[in-house]
Amino acid sequence: MFKPFDKISRKTFLILVGSQALVTLLLWQLSGGGLIPRPSTVMAALGRLLTTRLLLDNLLTSVMLTAQALLYAVLITLLFGYASVIPFFKPAAQFIVKCRYLTLTGLIFIFTLLTRDGGQLKLSLLLFGIVPFLTTSFLSIILHTPAQEFELCQTLGYNRWECLYEVIIIGKADQVFEVVRQNFAIAWMMITMVEGLNMSEGGIGALMIKYNKYNDLPHVLALQAVILGLGLGFDYVLGVLRHWLFPYTKH
Amino acid sequence: MTTYSKKEVLLRVEGVGLSYEGACILRDIGFSIRDVVRPGLQQGQVVSLVGRSGIGKTQLFRLLSGLQCPDRGSITIRERLPVEKGDGSIDLYRERIVRPGDMGVIFQNYYQFGWRTVGQSLLLAARRNKALVGKEEEAIRRYTQQFDIGDVLHRYPAQLSGGQQQRVSIIQQLLKGSDFLLLDEPFSGLDVCVLDRVVELLVQVSLSDELKTLIIVSHDISTAVAISDTVLVLGRQAGLEGSTIVREIDLIERGLAWQTEVRGEKAFAETVREIKGCL
Repeated sequence: MFKPFDKISRKTFLILVGSQALVTLLLWQLSGGGLIPRPSTVMAALGRLLTTRLLLDNLLTSVMLTAQALLYAVLITLLFGYASVIPFFKPAAQFIVKCRYLTLTGLIFIFTLLTRDGGQLKLSLLLFGIVPFLTTSFLSIILHTPAQEFELCQTLGYNRWECLYEVIIIGKADQVFEVVRQNFAIAWMMITMVEGLNMSEGGIGALMIKYNKYNDLPHVLALQAVILGLGLGFDYVLGVLRHWLFPYTKH
Repeated sequence: MTTYSKKEVLLRVEGVGLSYEGACILRDIGFSIRDVVRPGLQQGQVVSLVGRSGIGKTQLFRLLSGLQCPDRGSITIRERLPVEKGDGSIDLYRERIVRPGDMGVIFQNYYQFGWRTVGQSLLLAARRNKALVGKEEEAIRRYTQQFDIGDVLHRYPAQLSGGQQQRVSIIQQLLKGSDFLLLDEPFSGLDVCVLDRVVELLVQVSLSDELKTLIIVSHDISTAVAISDTVLVLGRQAGLEGSTIVREIDLIERGLAWQTEVRGEKAFAETVREIKGCL
């Protein structure tokens, strides 16, 4: 267990995770106090949140917006990603990739001018945040496609469009799904930020800013726990879905 | 003495050369493969290309498959196609430059689409073959039974053994219907029992059609001589840059072709020794 590359069973791993989390919580409970609330206080705040509709309503708002943004982001990414294998469209795809170095803060005003309402603003900001990362990952998948995949297509007499369909569109579908799964975390992380920029429609980000404003740290940390738990839950579901949709990825 | 004759040229390689970053890899490669005819038999051709590691066998393999174009020279194949001549006669064949897809190619690692089951991959190949329209499923069933992999159609390539992957690759290219089959190191890394089965399999393929032509690229000289009717030795000549065909051995003339127990013959050992001397 303490040697590099040692293999441990899943059961042992779960015991390790559980015991280490327990020790961390215990140390936090014993050393906490002052401004930082103890785990027991956070748990109590979480209990109070769960008994109201406030959390559920705001969570639903955030989840719906994230799902919507992710759907549009995937469509945009696939469009530019697939088109990037055609030289004419490559510069546009490369430009999107470079956009990941831009910050949202400097573009909020421009996006405000370009959009009609708060909902559109949040959606466009999320898209601007997600698409460059999603496109970067997708182009990397295309770039690392083994030459043999194309060569097998060629030996079977496929033309270039058929090669694109078989190797990239069909052949990389499982990896695209995995990239979406990984980038869901980015979307989920960004949602709280963009909801903070426009609080009119609520959402878990708006709720958190409200609690932060009154220094209600137990509720802030309780919301963080909810965000983390939900993120892990989505990650698990998407992982299960991937193996169901693409059974060959298991092997 | 076996009765046979050599008819039309099926593949012609003339003055082929290839350079990489200014260095000559292949130089003035020239040979041709003719249709070997044996009375009362469907006898295909089996030509082995042998040479030391790093001599350029794989590069020549890629040129022959059409996946890469030579810097110099040409590779032409005889295509089955009706061509109207001026005098009104019809020639069913014509010579043209080899293109990707003309040859069935079996890569050394038997590469397959990882996202397709064996059945799906074979169906994709069968659909490329105009002669199989409407009979694809039947052809797949026949080949997979013949090659003893009828029970793996629903599996993905990663779930197959190396031997099964090899057979799937061969069937896939056979279903595609190409007369030529190029195999890159098909005997590499096989144990003795599997090696015998692969040799048997390739002989079976070569006997499946009169025009079926197998070109085997290998460094296993004994197995190559045992299975082939012609051996081409790729090597270097003193003072000259790049590899070329340094010897062409007609095994039919030597009475070494088409024999199952050829390895025990004196002429076989001498031929193997002769090839080793050329490397």
